[in-house]
Amino acid sequence: MDFNLTLPEQQFREELRTWLADALPTGWGKTSFEPVDEEERAMFRIAWEQKLHEGGWSCIGWPREFGGRGATLSERAIFAEEMARARAPESVNLIGHNLAGHTIIHHGTPAQKARYLPEIISSREIWCQGFSEPGAGSDLAAVRMRAELDGDKFIVNGQKVWTSYAQYSHWCLALVRTSDEGTKHKGLSLLLIDMHSPGVTLRPLRQISGECEFNETFFDNVEVPVENLLGPMNEGWRITMTTLAYERGPEDALGRQIRFRQELDQLIVATAALKQGAKCAIDDPLVRQKLGRAVTEVEIIRLNCLRALSRYMAGEDRGSDVSLIKLFWSLAAQNMSEMAVDVLGPMAALTGGDPAAVAGGRFQLSWLQSKAFTIYAGSSEIQRNIISERVLGLPRV
Amino acid sequence: MDFGFNEEQKSLGDVVRRVLADFPSLLAPDGSTQNDAAVWDALAELGLFALVVPEARGGVGLLLVDIALAIEAAGAGLAPPLVASTLIATDLIVHFGTAAQQAELLPRIAAGQLRISIATQEAGQGYDPEMIATSIRDDRITGTKLLVAGAQQADAHLVLTNIDGQPGLAIVMSGAPGVDVQSQETIDPSSGLAELRLDGASLAQNAPLGHSSSEAVARLYDVAATVNAGMQAGIAARMLEMSVEYARTRVQFGQAIGAFQAIKHRCADLAVRVDAARTVAYYAFWSVSENAADQSRASSMAKAYCGEVAREACNETIQIHGGMGFTWDMPLHRFLRRAKVLDHAFGTPEWHYERVLAETLTAAPASESPPLPVGSEK
Repeated sequence: MDFNLTLPEQQFREELRTWLADALPTGWGKTSFEPVDEEERAMFRIAWEQKLHEGGWSCIGWPREFGGRGATLSERAIFAEEMARARAPESVNLIGHNLAGHTIIHHGTPAQKARYLPEIISSREIWCQGFSEPGAGSDLAAVRMRAELDGDKFIVNGQKVWTSYAQYSHWCLALVRTSDEGTKHKGLSLLLIDMHSPGVTLRPLRQISGECEFNETFFDNVEVPVENLLGPMNEGWRITMTTLAYERGPEDALGRQIRFRQELDQLIVATAALKQGAKCAIDDPLVRQKLGRAVTEVEIIRLNCLRALSRYMAGEDRGSDVSLIKLFWSLAAQNMSEMAVDVLGPMAALTGGDPAAVAGGRFQLSWLQSKAFTIYAGSSEIQRNIISERVLGLPRV
Repeated sequence: MDFGFNEEQKSLGDVVRRVLADFPSLLAPDGSTQNDAAVWDALAELGLFALVVPEARGGVGLLLVDIALAIEAAGAGLAPPLVASTLIATDLIVHFGTAAQQAELLPRIAAGQLRISIATQEAGQGYDPEMIATSIRDDRITGTKLLVAGAQQADAHLVLTNIDGQPGLAIVMSGAPGVDVQSQETIDPSSGLAELRLDGASLAQNAPLGHSSSEAVARLYDVAATVNAGMQAGIAARMLEMSVEYARTRVQFGQAIGAFQAIKHRCADLAVRVDAARTVAYYAFWSVSENAADQSRASSMAKAYCGEVAREACNETIQIHGGMGFTWDMPLHRFLRRAKVLDHAFGTPEWHYERVLAETLTAAPASESPPLPVGSEK
């Protein structure tokens, strides 16, 4: 066990630190901030991702032949740490970088790799994920959106839902039904669908936070060239299950942990300034214990990730252990957000534009957003099924 | 970066687990300290107590992180509390003992011939080390300590005491004049909790432990918190194992109860918490071994979190076992009792969460943290 950095790891960190200090806007986090407007903010973040790419810091875990750095898992952990330290903007193209990118690298044809990977790594093209449907949530294999082969193209009909960032996306990695033979898992395939194709329409879904990050996406006789089939026909389920290990894995959770830690730092600052009579909120022993507990849980998210990455570096396979990681971070972050609003005391109800709102109402917004953590990327109930059956070996129903 | 254990570290944990399994009395419904001497001898024969003693003093010179899994196994096996307290005291003597103390005590520890209890708690005192009344005058120590685990079997006691108005540490030998031990009635007889009365007792090698008393006390709380956290993680992990085993074999409504989501989801939640408890405990072992800047924060995180998880695991396991779980003859109550004792030793979760925040603020004062950009609320 050793958490000290090796010399090459230290050099990697220094190089990144130097680059970040130069690349972020002057006065970042002090006088210069992200746009408040949702769409402007998305554009700002995409521009930042393109800048990361120009500096050679996009998709660092990808092999060098596809433009990545072939970064080690340690380097990826350091990268997440440094982005946190610099409070760098969040990614909009996560689906492209992690899900679509990984799947194309592992299952794509040479032509698909040449066509898509350069556009993904540079964030010139943004991707969304077309998995969930109104009738296929936790029961993902119940996907009904059909793709009928018609000569050299598929004709796609159906509906996807919870399509995050579809409004900014050029491409959709879609799980579609190509066969009714055999069990429901057997007839699924992965298609790369151009979101600008005729027949694709979006309807923004307003979330409980008031934001419209995700959408309902409708496909009406959409033509998809047959060369946009990713992996073998009717093998979509197997491929999807391997890529979901990345969606729920430690790299993803490390990135999220950064945001939670920043939020918690900000909460500590807010409670130190929040007057409650002659004292401040942070002087209250109960508030202090709650903050101490949140600091602990958020740190455990990070340490859980490092432990998993170390297992993978030691040659262990990625498996159902990612469900432990996902269930832990989602609950820990939800607890933190609930606690954050509560320790504000009587000011808890003030939000957004109210001049007396604490920290511009950020904690109230996060509290609402956090309710999704235990639903997306596999609900907590699904994670518990996976853990009990595949990690603990309890009988399947 | 490597957050894993090597083969030697893993096999040490396995060996300790197997040795403890040779003593079924450790898990007997009537918990007692009766067989503690035999268990001690078996672990001493293994060389456990020589591991963190420096080579120059007859030991192996390992770090606490090297024995983390052995300590976890000691927790899971309800080992006599003197095992842990002696290992903790060894670390303190190695770091803070005078040359004379090290020369006299460490070889005896390495040989398994010196069992050391740790005496901190006093009547009418909370968990804060600053609030004790025991004190040293003219190199003699006077005071009354409560809840000293294993005090009756111990050969020496590491005592929290006032030294020139500051909390510090001293070692008192059991046979010395003015040392008296009376057992106390407690929820866990196997912890051997006792009252230690010191009435002008002399100090080992006529000196307090340590050139820097405040650092020594801080390290005692860091190392004790870490070791206790390791044992609590061990208890929690064992509870999870027993729950899963029972859920797999107990049949109701024509199937194993582990097939019902009401049971399997409880087990899954426990698995997540146990995994997290191990994560935070293991990190604390590394941090205290390295004397890392965050060792106080890391050890308090571990003690607080593992305490919560051990408590929850014991409670859940009793419920999953249904009526059987509530019987005297199932050993589950033994873990419940031990976990509660460990939870209150060296500070509860609440006490340690306060320490986590205090340490966090010391590392980065709230007034100095830059504000986050408004509008990055995701």
